[in-house]
Amino acid sequence: MAAIQVEGLERTFAGDIRAVRGVSLEVAEGEIYGFLGPNGAGKTTTVRMLTTLLLPTGGRATVAGHDVEREAPAVRRAIGVALQESALDPLMTGRELIRLQATLHGLPRAEGQRRADALLERVDLSDAADRRVGTYSGGMQRRLDLAAALVHGPKVLFLDEPTTGLDPVSRKAIWEEVTKLNSEGTTVFLTTQYLEEADRLANRVSIIDSGEIVVEGTPEQLKGDIGKPHLEVALADGTPDQAERVCEAFGKPLPSKDGKVLIELERGAAQVAEVVRALDDAGLLVESLELVEPSLDDVFVAKTGYHLEAEEAEGKQDAGG
Amino acid sequence: MGEEGTKRLGPVAANLRVVAALGLRSVKQTFRRPQLMAPIIVFPTLLLAIQTGGAGSAVDLPGFPAVDSFLQFMIAGAMAQSVMLAGNSGGIALAVDIEMGFTDRLFAAPISRFTIVLGRLAGTAALGTFAAVWFLVIAFIFGAPIETGVAGALWAIVLVTLTATAVGGIGAAIALRSGSASVVQGLFPLVLVLLFLSSAFFPQELMVEPAKTIAKYNPLSLIVDGLRDPIISEFSASEAAAALLSVAGIGLLGLVLSAAALRRRLRTGG
Amino acid sequence: MGGWRENLATIRALLARAKNEILRVPGAAIPGVLAPTIFYLGLNGVFGNLIELRGFDTDSYTSYIIPVSLLQGAGFTGAATGVNMARDIEQGWFDRLAVSPSPRWVLLAGSVISASLRSLIPATVLLCVAMAIGADFPGPAGLAVAIVLVMGMAAFAACWGSMLALHYRSQAVAPLMQAGMFLIILTTTAYAPLDLLQGWLHTVAEINPITQVIDAARQGFVGEVTWSETWPALLIVAGLISLLGSLALRELRRLAA
Repeated sequence: MAAIQVEGLERTFAGDIRAVRGVSLEVAEGEIYGFLGPNGAGKTTTVRMLTTLLLPTGGRATVAGHDVEREAPAVRRAIGVALQESALDPLMTGRELIRLQATLHGLPRAEGQRRADALLERVDLSDAADRRVGTYSGGMQRRLDLAAALVHGPKVLFLDEPTTGLDPVSRKAIWEEVTKLNSEGTTVFLTTQYLEEADRLANRVSIIDSGEIVVEGTPEQLKGDIGKPHLEVALADGTPDQAERVCEAFGKPLPSKDGKVLIELERGAAQVAEVVRALDDAGLLVESLELVEPSLDDVFVAKTGYHLEAEEAEGKQDAGG
Repeated sequence: MGEEGTKRLGPVAANLRVVAALGLRSVKQTFRRPQLMAPIIVFPTLLLAIQTGGAGSAVDLPGFPAVDSFLQFMIAGAMAQSVMLAGNSGGIALAVDIEMGFTDRLFAAPISRFTIVLGRLAGTAALGTFAAVWFLVIAFIFGAPIETGVAGALWAIVLVTLTATAVGGIGAAIALRSGSASVVQGLFPLVLVLLFLSSAFFPQELMVEPAKTIAKYNPLSLIVDGLRDPIISEFSASEAAAALLSVAGIGLLGLVLSAAALRRRLRTGG
Repeated sequence: MGGWRENLATIRALLARAKNEILRVPGAAIPGVLAPTIFYLGLNGVFGNLIELRGFDTDSYTSYIIPVSLLQGAGFTGAATGVNMARDIEQGWFDRLAVSPSPRWVLLAGSVISASLRSLIPATVLLCVAMAIGADFPGPAGLAVAIVLVMGMAAFAACWGSMLALHYRSQAVAPLMQAGMFLIILTTTAYAPLDLLQGWLHTVAEINPITQVIDAARQGFVGEVTWSETWPALLIVAGLISLLGSLALRELRRLAA
């Protein structure tokens, strides 16, 4: 039986805003499934439907064998959820929060206390357990949120952008924990906008854009389908258009990124010297040159026409005002 | 970006422009957030309606001033209530700006620091004007005459606007000093106390001790009486002067306190 | 754990969390606790001489207006519960409760019961102050009736606030929560007996069910406590809790829509 089965799931909001447009997927038991996409793609809306926080307006879905609409209480018993907005109460201590979570899931008091202690130890929050959550750093809050999601031993764990906004050390700690959980048999449905996270953690990945899944497969399959490496050329002088005209002879031009010219090379590294000579002959001074093997971002570009990571950078710029 | 061709404003004009922009922002904020608008208009209006119906028989008490109706008597008190709560709301909004970091954005801008406070006061003053007009319209609709006519109405608008500015200074000072919206919000009971211990809702002579004595010396009573007289009878130069003096006193206190609080915040960052 | 035991444990846990708002936020509870008493002292000081008018069946305005402030305290406490719920929804905390397997009525019961219990705090402060300034002691029966009605009003106010919070999902409706309670309590014989009320207020007070509740809570402070005055008020409060509670539960079930 699939841990998560989704058929034609849709969600339309008031004002005819179609946030999710017919998503279909299947997650096997024991799998880590990565759901990758930019801000506003429909990831969180999909997760909220699968975790019974939002009703679908079309399609159906089952989680742990239960229909999300008709058997919502059964779904809630089977899942653990750590949402994008850490659902934490700043006035509670870490220990109180996990014990509350245990109570919400019907665990007897003594059992709830035991599990709280064990989980706090596991996520390295024992020392901070009796401090108020409002005093925790962002990384500590995410670890606590994760621990709270695990207190009742869920079959399926939903993590909605678990490392957004975290420093690299905290992010690595979350990754290690997720990998460990999965090795213990927990199915994980992970949404993320970080390519490295999906690449590193997920057994299979699907990419969602504008409410629709555009591609699905293992990271290796997806990158293999894209296949070819590309060259990134930054010029010291001359315009990108001039460089693009020169490079066109060697392969297919790709959308530029950060002012660099990108060209897909049919024969990979063997063509690099030829490209450099051609640019030199054209009088263009190269500042930097990098041969890049296919990544999930390339898969994203191939399927959507734009970079996920460039969008991230723009998004961060906009957020910073 | 074409700055060579741009004529720069003088410092006074530039600061006035900033004050106007920040004032407009604070007015828009208030109208867009019901939590801020309600204390200024909704609750005073509800209380006016209820007290008029509930205590309206008070006009039959011996010693009650000669009025057309209890509503006519109460209009000034409703304006006073609105203005006091506008000052408190303005303080809360400034404290929220501090908590959110918006004031840091302003401090980092090439503007005079005190324009930040003046901008907030400009907004509170505008809301005071709105409140005065609102209650004058209420009086008109429900048949409570302004005995001195247009002059009395204009006087009410001017006095209420000045009072709002003065009270707003106190609210701003508390916000700057504490940096906490919940501290400013916690002063709401104090505002209620000041209102009740004044002649806002009942003639001071007919109140019960010790409220009666306290109301006699409460500066808010001077302002309310200065507002009320042209509404229920005629202008009194002494009452008007006393009201203006009271407003000036509160305004001066607010100015001194907010300047000190602003200096402290800039010096210590908190 | 079994069904009812699990539900009870959840309600207890939610009550424990609600306690934090009072115990762990210094000063946050003070306005809500003090405001009814301030209002009481204010009304007493301002309108106290209304008692000179013919129509009051007591010579103590101090005693007459106690129930108003008691019920206002209950109303504020209940409305504050709604505001807190709206905040929890906005900040994402409520998702944690919504995604739990607890029955929906259990989630609501935690908020409502906590409001009911918390309403005893401002009520106690008010009664102490009222006795100190010379209000008549209502006797055990009068006190019991008043306390029950205060707790009932707080529960009703919490259902009202919760319904609005779950429908609008925003703290912006806080004024509506407070204004609703304000209106329903003050458009009664709050300030004066029915015969002395004027205009529209007289009409509204006649049909407002809370007038019965105010008059019942006034027993003991003014006049004797009788069952014939008490049971209609209890029925009204129970009815209001059922009605608003059902509406709040409906909104909670529709939260995912």
